[in-house]
Amino acid sequence: MSNTLTITIDGRPCTCEPGEYLYDVAERNGIHIPALCRSDAFEDHRACCRVCLVEVEERGRRKVVTSCVYPVERECAVYTNSEKIIEERAVTLALLAKRAPSSDVIADMAREAGAAAGGAAGFDRLVTLDDEKCILCGLCVQACDSLGTGAISTVNRGVDKKVSTPYDEPSEDCIGCLSCANVCPTGAIEYTQDATSRTIWNRTFELAFCERCGAPMGTKAAVSRAAQQTGIEEPHVCDACRKKELADEMMRTYRYV
Amino acid sequence: MNDANHASKIARIIEAYPADRRFALAAMQDMQHEFNYIPAEGLSALAAYLGCTTAHLYSMATFYKALSLNPKGEHIIKICNGTACHLRGSVNLATEIKRVLGIEPGQTSADGEFSVEYVNCLGSCALAPVMVVDGMYYNKLKVDQISGIIDRYKQEDAARKDAKDGGDDD
Repeated sequence: MSNTLTITIDGRPCTCEPGEYLYDVAERNGIHIPALCRSDAFEDHRACCRVCLVEVEERGRRKVVTSCVYPVERECAVYTNSEKIIEERAVTLALLAKRAPSSDVIADMAREAGAAAGGAAGFDRLVTLDDEKCILCGLCVQACDSLGTGAISTVNRGVDKKVSTPYDEPSEDCIGCLSCANVCPTGAIEYTQDATSRTIWNRTFELAFCERCGAPMGTKAAVSRAAQQTGIEEPHVCDACRKKELADEMMRTYRYV
Repeated sequence: MNDANHASKIARIIEAYPADRRFALAAMQDMQHEFNYIPAEGLSALAAYLGCTTAHLYSMATFYKALSLNPKGEHIIKICNGTACHLRGSVNLATEIKRVLGIEPGQTSADGEFSVEYVNCLGSCALAPVMVVDGMYYNKLKVDQISGIIDRYKQEDAARKDAKDGGDDD
């Protein structure tokens, strides 16, 4: 930690290493910056939702940056709630709310940001998409790719852009792991699950169950893929039961020690 | 075209490139050129060869307008809809084509003979409105020329078909 930097965020001094992303520095110091497409699951961020905008004052100049991908290189002053940011955040969220009106997350954030800016006006003339929750941030695609599955991707471009499987048909590559649905900030990826199966992206998967407690452990395809990728034997019991088994074995082993 | 021939053509196109993802677009362009569209089996074969998934290539194939996933017609009619051509009435050309062939831009005629599409500026603004059929430019077009041009392609096709049928008789 030879060369650390001290920057001020909303007037509070914060130390960080050069190259750290502004968003991470702020969060570590308890300053919350609203964001949608930022996930701790990945090292590289998308800067796609534009909600995490902040104002940076460096060498006497002020600029608006996306904090999730802005590396801190030199001393600076950061404002997460300047007048400009409050207004821009309200506009960004008002537009996202038009794009994804069915998302409660966005509706709440837009209401809050709009109220902070004293009401966002002039958006009534814009078209609202019906029943849409997706903001096309691409986190789901990033998640799927990072697992080496690569079953979904962004399809088409412009107003027709969406996330889907090839030809909108059930994908051979999908393993039904729900990584895409879990990482989605707006809950746009739908799936259904009953006692024995899970359906996602138009494909139905059989579930795998713990041999000991009977709890579902995910889809059979996902369990065997995980085992294959890590090179370990396919598990027959769930995490909780495995810990129990291990503890029992330890108890037996060390009973007379 | 039989399946084996089809598959070997696909394999030949794909294997002309090193197995690296950066050649995906080039290989897809070659397929488009060869078949007038990218067949589904071509997409999956290319994915297997490059070591990526079909979804990655599907994303690219749907992104670029020059690539098509549906079979295109024998003759491809491109109507320029750049600013100059648009102002000079490229929409009227499309309406006339719809009257003659019954298809709108983006569609292919039922007999598989013609595909019509709008394209962005072809760089011949001085010649607006411009229409390109199979690489042949028709410039300063008037609506009443359209049916004549299309008829010429139909006649050429009919003549070629006749010659071929005649050849079969020998």
